Amino acid sequence: MHDIIRQLEEKRQLACLGGGQKRIDSQHKKGKLTARERIELLLDPDSFEEWDMFKEHRCTDFGMDQAEKIPGDGVVTGYGTINGRLVFVFSQDFTVFGGSLSETHAEKICKIMDHAMKVGAPVIGLNDSGGARIQEGVASLGGYADVFQRNVMASGVIPQISMIMGPCAGGAVYSPSMTDFIFMVKDSSYMFVTGPEVVKTVTHEDVTAEELGGAVTHTSKSGVADLAFENDVEALAMLRRFMNFLPANNHEKPPFQPTNDPAGREDFSLDTLVPDNANKPYDMKELLIKVVDDNDFFEIQPDYAKNIIIGFGRMDGHPVGIVANQPLVLAGCLDIKSSIKAARFVRFCDAFNIPVVTFVDVPGFMPGTTQEYGGIIKHGAKLLYAYAECTVPKVTVITRKAYGGAYDVMSSKHLRGDVNLAWPSAEIAVMGPKGAVEIIFREEKNDPAKLAQREAEYKEKFANPFVAGARGFIDDVVMPHATRKRICRSLAMLRDKNLENPWRKHGNIPL
Amino acid sequence: MFKKILIANRGEIACRVIKTARKMGIQTVAVYSEADKDALHVDLADEAVCIGPAASKESYLVMDKIIAACKETGAEAVHPGYGFLSENQEFSRRLEEEGIKFIGPKHYSVGKMGDKIESKKLAIEAKVNTIPGYNDAIDSPEHAVEIAKGIGYPVMIKASAGGGGKGLRVAFNDKEAYEGFASCKNEAKNAFGDDRVFIEKFVLEPRHIEIQVLGDSHGNYVYLNERECSIQRRHQKVIEEAPSPFIDPETRKAMGEQAVALARAVNYESAGTVEFVVGADKSFYFLEMNTRLQVEHPVTELITGLDLVEQMIRVAAGEKLSITQADVGINGWAMECRINAEDPFRGFLPSTGRLVKFQPPAEIPGQVRVDTGVYDGGEISMFYDSMIAKLIVHGATREQAIARMRDALNAFVIRGISSNIPFQAALMQHSRFQSGNFNTGFIAEEYPKGFDASMVPHDDPALLVSVAAYVYRSYTDRAASVTGQLEGHERIVDDKWMVVRVNGEHKENHPVVARPVPGGYHIEYNGENYEIQSDWRLGESLFRGTCNGEEFTLQVERHKTKYSLFHWGTRADFMVMSARAAELLALMPEKPAPDLSKFLLSPMPGLLREVSVAVGQEVKAGEKLAVIEAMKMENILKADQDCKVKKIAAAAGESLSVDQVIIEFE
Repeated sequence: MHDIIRQLEEKRQLACLGGGQKRIDSQHKKGKLTARERIELLLDPDSFEEWDMFKEHRCTDFGMDQAEKIPGDGVVTGYGTINGRLVFVFSQDFTVFGGSLSETHAEKICKIMDHAMKVGAPVIGLNDSGGARIQEGVASLGGYADVFQRNVMASGVIPQISMIMGPCAGGAVYSPSMTDFIFMVKDSSYMFVTGPEVVKTVTHEDVTAEELGGAVTHTSKSGVADLAFENDVEALAMLRRFMNFLPANNHEKPPFQPTNDPAGREDFSLDTLVPDNANKPYDMKELLIKVVDDNDFFEIQPDYAKNIIIGFGRMDGHPVGIVANQPLVLAGCLDIKSSIKAARFVRFCDAFNIPVVTFVDVPGFMPGTTQEYGGIIKHGAKLLYAYAECTVPKVTVITRKAYGGAYDVMSSKHLRGDVNLAWPSAEIAVMGPKGAVEIIFREEKNDPAKLAQREAEYKEKFANPFVAGARGFIDDVVMPHATRKRICRSLAMLRDKNLENPWRKHGNIPL
Repeated sequence: MFKKILIANRGEIACRVIKTARKMGIQTVAVYSEADKDALHVDLADEAVCIGPAASKESYLVMDKIIAACKETGAEAVHPGYGFLSENQEFSRRLEEEGIKFIGPKHYSVGKMGDKIESKKLAIEAKVNTIPGYNDAIDSPEHAVEIAKGIGYPVMIKASAGGGGKGLRVAFNDKEAYEGFASCKNEAKNAFGDDRVFIEKFVLEPRHIEIQVLGDSHGNYVYLNERECSIQRRHQKVIEEAPSPFIDPETRKAMGEQAVALARAVNYESAGTVEFVVGADKSFYFLEMNTRLQVEHPVTELITGLDLVEQMIRVAAGEKLSITQADVGINGWAMECRINAEDPFRGFLPSTGRLVKFQPPAEIPGQVRVDTGVYDGGEISMFYDSMIAKLIVHGATREQAIARMRDALNAFVIRGISSNIPFQAALMQHSRFQSGNFNTGFIAEEYPKGFDASMVPHDDPALLVSVAAYVYRSYTDRAASVTGQLEGHERIVDDKWMVVRVNGEHKENHPVVARPVPGGYHIEYNGENYEIQSDWRLGESLFRGTCNGEEFTLQVERHKTKYSLFHWGTRADFMVMSARAAELLALMPEKPAPDLSKFLLSPMPGLLREVSVAVGQEVKAGEKLAVIEAMKMENILKADQDCKVKKIAAAAGESLSVDQVIIEFE
């Protein structure tokens, strides 16, 4: 018995050293923490329950039978808590065979995913892997696919978060890409389907790994990743913050966090947020920060498709997903990127019972050949589809422009918006006054004086919230300073909203 | 008394005049430009008249429009504030012609004092000290020495055509005067082709001290003591105080009496200011008279208990002064900081835009006063002066006034634009300022290379560490109160934390123990105990509390995992984490800040109108690189040095944020 305990101690020590001190040092030198250090920072102190520490690979080819067997096989798995709430975690260990994915490595991941599904808890993956364990050949590929299948089964059932903290290349990218959020660490992580060498041979492009698939690239250019962090420590601290917004699964309400920020807090500076000149931009983020609890707005994808803002906040202690047009960028119009960005976010919120609060200042869809050839029709439809199928509480505030089809899209009453409010500065119309009169009064186009008069008439009639109010398309006109109070009350009223879409295998969102 | 007056001004002074008028039961009319239609003074006034476009010369400076506004509203008198038309004799004459009272001196007084040469002549006649000098041509070095002796050393020998320090000598004795004359003459000849030089008294360590006077239309005059205005940056007053830490009662009396003599000489009816330059030996010389209400008048009000605007209105209405010189005393100490919309860390560049937050410290009668013309959510436009508020404090002593000013600066929340508050805070704690031993050269001498964050050391870093621990612990406790925790395995928040102070690439670890206590947290740090009580709420900028019973105020902003604390002009950045996390943080590489000289960054948020260069192009210093449109103004960005374009990182038509990369150079 003593012998077994001694062996256990030895094995534990060995497992904890992963690929050995030398490799740990080298990992640190690259500015990266080890798999276990990362888990330590992510989870509540002493909450981690590790599984399969002693699991070893079964490969015998290419000298793998001679190679040292490292217990754990390059991934640390288990569960623990973040602020007392259960999460399952896998953390790839780059010091062990470069974190490469073997059959057994995949089995370990699948095991915690299966458990997470059984008990309804999020899965967090900390990715740091050189890719497939090539020595294992197809067994490794099979392992990937086993994970992929589970990612898909878990999608919309439990939140899945990927934190890319090292390489993630080739087929390996497709597991994170099917999770709900991808976060990356600047300068030490990258994701791509083919690396710079292959790119060079095939397309003759000279590009570094960082430029091709670094955190900045994916959070600003491709939109593949949602957030980029400075280093591992910041990334994991922020991930802890992030997890406090999410429910454990799709049967649960998102977690409540008591607040002493009064629901009735008024902010009179908002009364001057919207400039008189309809063409002058303003920063929508100021509004978001000022209305949420504790001014704590957790923005997602801040550097991608900046003409729309998405993120989480709390109102009255309850999490909400926020979508808002950003007049500061491209006048806040909807284009391909912003539609996709917001659509995916709305669907996430809908899947996980997180109410959606939408702030509208949208002049319409972006015109142009780039947009049309790029398929704005199909991509714009994604956002429309997402809002229309969404059954969670939906509260909408129109701050200024709500023009044309974009008005319909942005959580309008017609798409089952529950509470639709408008600021006095709201203008709900088919288009801006100038464009409208140029079409309606085409024959007067050579008479600027008359046209100006028509424009004034149009403005008088439509550049206000009353026309839409008369039809019940908006429920009330609210003063900007009271926005927080009104949203909090609306959400409180909607807390037990019960709405279901008809049964079907799944809808056919225009992908 | 008037029933209705018009205020021909904007901003804080218009608001300030309206307040007094309201107190006196007088109706007020504001005038405003199109850019000011949502301004505070428009809101405060009983009536408001738009007088044209944003540019002052098309609105606030157009006499016809203001006179028309008076007629339209039936205003009987006009208060001009300062600046704009306040010292325009034609304006006061025109008003007189129209039968409208000008709340200020008569136009002839303005005229006489407006002319430098005439005012000096008048001053001499009124036996007011003027800077002794000799303005006629001097023919020989011997002659120069003779004149210098007559004036008294030190003297300044100056080229008539001089400027920029050229052709200027200071002489402390005959020898220097002799040699200085010759070399100055030579230099002047070479530099300006004009070898005429003159000699004037050189005032050592000059201070700018001014006397407030008040006169009525019945020949009564009083002086309301002095104001010390030596703290100036590029000839702009930054801090003013009353009384002066330098002036003794005899000098005060002498200066005051001369100021009154000068006012009497021009039949001055209103509030006015006689400016003097005062030397280290307390000799004082007349500079000029400002025939208007001064920006810094509140410090005089706080030590005398008089309302100068009220006095001006009463005098204009023909009333007699209700006080005599014997009634004028000095009660305690008053100090004023001008709060400007400018960035002290970027060479004091003006800062414009939306006031995302504007929360001045609470006014406390007799202690803290805030004169401002802007409000929370207001807009600072580029059309007018960058001064957005005046923070005025009063204390029994100078030390108490300084302490109150420091506290008030801590509580002044401005977001969205930059302000000079950190600079003001730095001045307030400067030992030389506190000692009162300074002159007009103070800022130039103490901050020769400008101002940066390292110039405001904090003398109580433990307070900052404790508050950082407080703030983080509050957040952590809040996050740990979330629902949905595993029963029996709920989060228990540890009391031991590491406060990591981040200073650029440098990190300092401060271990603390932070325990919740009723109303706050108890923090143990470095063997000391800090019990901090506060009703601060997460997310609030302003943090008011007590530390071991002593009140303090500071400001907090969070950016991701970093907290910035602002206190006494210092900004300190902190991260708080477990000791283990801090250990791991130490392993993280310090990423060197990018070499910004290789980039053209957008200096402001705006629209990129054009990029004027192409990749690979060689650019010479001074050449146009790009055009940004911001606030309807085109801003041309030029190359600082010769360079070659490596990459163009932003496209025309793109909206830029501040510091966004536009062009990368090789």
